[in-house]
Amino acid sequence: MASAKTCISYLRNSPISLSFRPQSRLPLPIFLPNQQYRCAGGQTSANAAKYKRKDQGTQQKKKKARTTFIQYDLRDAEQFSLCDAMRYIRAFEVGRAPTSSKYELHLKLRTLKNGAVVRNRLRLPHPVKTDLRICVICPSDSKSAAAARAAGATIVGEDTVFDAVKDGRIEFDRCICHIDSLQKLQKAGLGRVLGPRGLMPSAKLGTVVKDVGATVKDMVGGSEYRERLGVVRMAIGQLGFTPEEMQRNIRAFVDGVKKDIAQLSDRIAKGIHEVVLSSTNGPGFSLNGEFRGPESVSTKELSTL
Amino acid sequence: HADVIRKFWQHYLPRLKYHNPAIPMTVDRTQTQSGPATLTIFFTQPTNPSDPTTPLPAPTSSTSGDTAPSASYVPTERTVSINMKHRTDAEILTQFMEATKATVVEATPEELEEMRELEEQGARSQRDSARSMEVNKQRKREADMLAQARGDIAAQAA
Repeated sequence: MASAKTCISYLRNSPISLSFRPQSRLPLPIFLPNQQYRCAGGQTSANAAKYKRKDQGTQQKKKKARTTFIQYDLRDAEQFSLCDAMRYIRAFEVGRAPTSSKYELHLKLRTLKNGAVVRNRLRLPHPVKTDLRICVICPSDSKSAAAARAAGATIVGEDTVFDAVKDGRIEFDRCICHIDSLQKLQKAGLGRVLGPRGLMPSAKLGTVVKDVGATVKDMVGGSEYRERLGVVRMAIGQLGFTPEEMQRNIRAFVDGVKKDIAQLSDRIAKGIHEVVLSSTNGPGFSLNGEFRGPESVSTKELSTL
Repeated sequence: HADVIRKFWQHYLPRLKYHNPAIPMTVDRTQTQSGPATLTIFFTQPTNPSDPTTPLPAPTSSTSGDTAPSASYVPTERTVSINMKHRTDAEILTQFMEATKATVVEATPEELEEMRELEEQGARSQRDSARSMEVNKQRKREADMLAQARGDIAAQAA
């Protein structure tokens, strides 16, 4: 019976045949609420009794929260040497100004979620952000004024500064004062102008100092970092830096973080898990710790714009 | 048009930069779109004809401002300009390659494998997302019907 066979095979292969999908949702005669389906007297049907869960599965649903952050195996990750990563990042940042795009380093730590965090200031060998304008209040012709100018202060002086501030021309971001000029400063009454901006020098904040040159140098180069959600992130260079400059900066940063971790109490088990180099407009590249690989481009070629 | 030039900047220029890391490539942007749009290539004269592969001294070796310009830098004499307005980015690229006599870097078999795998992954994820969207839509539809039914019952009982 060829025709019957073809009929059956047609039925089996037709697209409208029923497929047995597992029914995980309620079988719905939807216009009646659930209660009317329980049998009277609390007796369950035989079918329901067969499939009723005997264990206490529904009471143990609370999931345990993780105490540490997830760590991925670094052997699966694709890692790069510094020169290779810089070559890729420079390609991603092509056409941007060499001072506008910054490299950033992310240190992923092995740590508890609710433990102590690493937080500190650091001076990089090659500072990233160097355009902090500092105003120094001290007699214009003294030794401290010369030291301040050498260290890179923008505005140095006494009466000239007072007049400028009173006029409203505040062209600086930080202000420090020499101890000897403090009296004059307080008499000049600049608190009205500088106070609300947080620029008024005061002994409490450490902005009234004896050694002006060293303080200015301190302020200009320092960059701060802190650990957020198990990662320490900091800007570590500008796009125009050479691989050697980047290497020095990266070494200084990683050494600084390692020292901070060691200074935490001995009970805390923190460690550096992964180091990732990225930039403002580029992706992240996990670093394997080497400066250059066997096929890396020479550092001279990575130094030009 | 600004879009085409931006596409050239974002698609082709990174590849050029990756394969020629020593060549400086800069982009100057203007506020208005109405001005001219040109791609200028600066050529240097090879001083040592017997050894054309050594890179010539560049203007500066470090653009972080630490070093002064090197003394052996010779400014360029020959320039080639390409007008980018009203051209597609593929045309700009072909003109550029002709002007610089560039050699095409072919993808290695491993890289071709990777690209193929990524494409397959993309296709797979699209199929998966369509399927899961179906399931979620169905679930939402039933939840809505249930809520509507309960609302009807409450209205009837009241």
